[in-house]
Amino acid sequence: MTIINITIPLGLIQQIEDYSRIVNDILKHDVSLNILKFSTSSGGINILLDLPEEKIKEITESLKSNDVQINRKGRISYDQEKCLFCGACISLCPTEALRYKDDDSIEFSEGDCIGCLLCVDACPTNAIMED
Amino acid sequence: MIITTKTYQEINRKIKSKDAIVVTAEEMIKIVEENGSKVAAEEIDVVTTGTFGPMCSSGAFLNFGHSDPPIKFEHLWLNEVHAYHGNAAVDCYIGVTRMADKRPFEYGGGNVIEELVAGKPIRLRGISNTTDCYPLGEIDTYFTIDDLNQSILCNPRNAYQRYVCAVNSTDRTLYTYMGKLLPNFGNAHYAGSGCLNPLTNDPDYETIGIGTRIFLGGGIGYVMGEGTQHNPKNRFGTLFLKGDLKQMRSEYLKGVNYEQYGTSMFCGVGIPIPILNEGLAKKTAIKDKDIITDIVDYGTPRRDRPTIRKTNYEELKSGLIEINGKKIKCSSLSSLYHARQIAKELKEWIEDGKFFLNPPAETLPIETDFKPMKQVSELKFVKDLKRGAVICYEDCDIDIVAEKIVQKNTNHIVITDRDQYLKGIVTSFDVTKAVAKKKTILKDIITKRVITTTDNEPADVAARKMRKHEISALPVIDDKNKVVGIITSEELM
Ligand code: SF4
Ligand code: SF4
Repeated sequence: MTIINITIPLGLIQQIEDYSRIVNDILKHDVSLNILKFSTSSGGINILLDLPEEKIKEITESLKSNDVQINRKGRISYDQEKCLFCGACISLCPTEALRYKDDDSIEFSEGDCIGCLLCVDACPTNAIMED
Repeated sequence: MIITTKTYQEINRKIKSKDAIVVTAEEMIKIVEENGSKVAAEEIDVVTTGTFGPMCSSGAFLNFGHSDPPIKFEHLWLNEVHAYHGNAAVDCYIGVTRMADKRPFEYGGGNVIEELVAGKPIRLRGISNTTDCYPLGEIDTYFTIDDLNQSILCNPRNAYQRYVCAVNSTDRTLYTYMGKLLPNFGNAHYAGSGCLNPLTNDPDYETIGIGTRIFLGGGIGYVMGEGTQHNPKNRFGTLFLKGDLKQMRSEYLKGVNYEQYGTSMFCGVGIPIPILNEGLAKKTAIKDKDIITDIVDYGTPRRDRPTIRKTNYEELKSGLIEINGKKIKCSSLSSLYHARQIAKELKEWIEDGKFFLNPPAETLPIETDFKPMKQVSELKFVKDLKRGAVICYEDCDIDIVAEKIVQKNTNHIVITDRDQYLKGIVTSFDVTKAVAKKKTILKDIITKRVITTTDNEPADVAARKMRKHEISALPVIDDKNKVVGIITSEELM
């Protein structure tokens, strides 16, 4: 599964039909998709979708044709001062961007981060923030 | 037979002359492995343990002294977190899971305690019914820890002997006190420090009991006795702890907030185990792989959640566990790094002759049972309340659906295929809209992603689903996705 981060821009959905059109467009690809995160921002509605690898292309195309924005990458910042080295974020990270060091402290490697944002709301101290 | 090889007095004498041999529970494993437990019992005087994790059953008693004119609080808030007042005039108990009235899920009692210990000013707001002896009706002031008479950390249930590992079998993300659990067994969380855990190293409670002096929140604390829900027969022992906040350090008392669960506090606990005999040398050398616990499915919102299988702390600490043939990422909620630091710091205190050991006034009970809550009203399940669903097949016309709505006087039509497998749901409002827009094809108006329930789901869980999704009915399905009824907000009223 691959995670993509999309935004439904403010104003794109005026009527329920707009919504059905977008959703039905996705559903016709016959996929089960997990919505991992749903949040609203000033730009619209942000959704984190977990999609089967082989369908990514078709689905992103159909979303784009409906004016849904595909965000390449979220960005996070990690504040070691606030980090308790608890590990509540580690199991959520699909890459090794957040990982234990040999002494069981924790480090964040920006280069490995795909910006899926799964870790952000798992952190109990706000050591991880969405940029 | 256990032969006593050492006494508390002998150990304390060595501590005083700085000759005591102290090791952490992790170091003890190797020592016993290499030299055997007999030699280890002779050579090692004390083994130190540690744990640093979210401990929701924590809080503090504070005494403010009297105002002028005096006040007897009826309600009071510390940084807008409601504290408990039910004794005398100016005492209170601030609990860590209590959330700020205006900033719930963000700031809570744990944050107040952390800030208090860090020396920050805390706002105290209180109201009173007023009496002849306590005439003041309201107060709004600031204080720091130095202004308090007593500030006593008092935690009814800390330092679980071991804890379960949580996973989620459902198709949605769960936010729990075990952290964020991804759908379809997407990840796993465990708690506790395994071989460093205090009670794990004294599993028969030979040395830990009432009055045991311990490391608590970076200062010195004491065991007051068994914790609440102490469950020794299942090796889920717990401890009731207290200590003076004025001696503690905020790095070992950390207010935290878990998304959609609420606030809590990380609390550092370390307990020294005197090696009085060979048995204790063996027990303190326990390895992660010998500490067994359960992998539990938090997707079942019931008291008795299904156990998927057994695991041990070695597997948990490896970062990957296997479920249904699939490896999933597993991480801890408590900090192994800091648990180790605590065990090391306590070791240094003892080595430096600053911390002495004492026998407990009484050891912890080993026979207590942990009973479930007595509930006088019978638990209602969906199957007790559901009714027959009004069903239409997916290939029928909207007209037929409309007719059924009128005929059966219902707002919800469940759509299935010819074999009763769930395909969607249509409400009377959907049909009204379709008519207004001159739509005739049922497929265009079906809601396909349907929130469902099952016969054995408690009615309250079904009600929470409806509230959460702002809907008024849930089709009831069996484990094959066949429709076996419907439950609506009317039945749940
Ligand atoms: S956003 Fe967080 S969870 Fe996602 S890859 Fe980056 S560090 Fe890992
Ligand atoms: S969840 Fe937050 S506090 Fe815990 S290890 Fe990750 S970044 Fe640190």
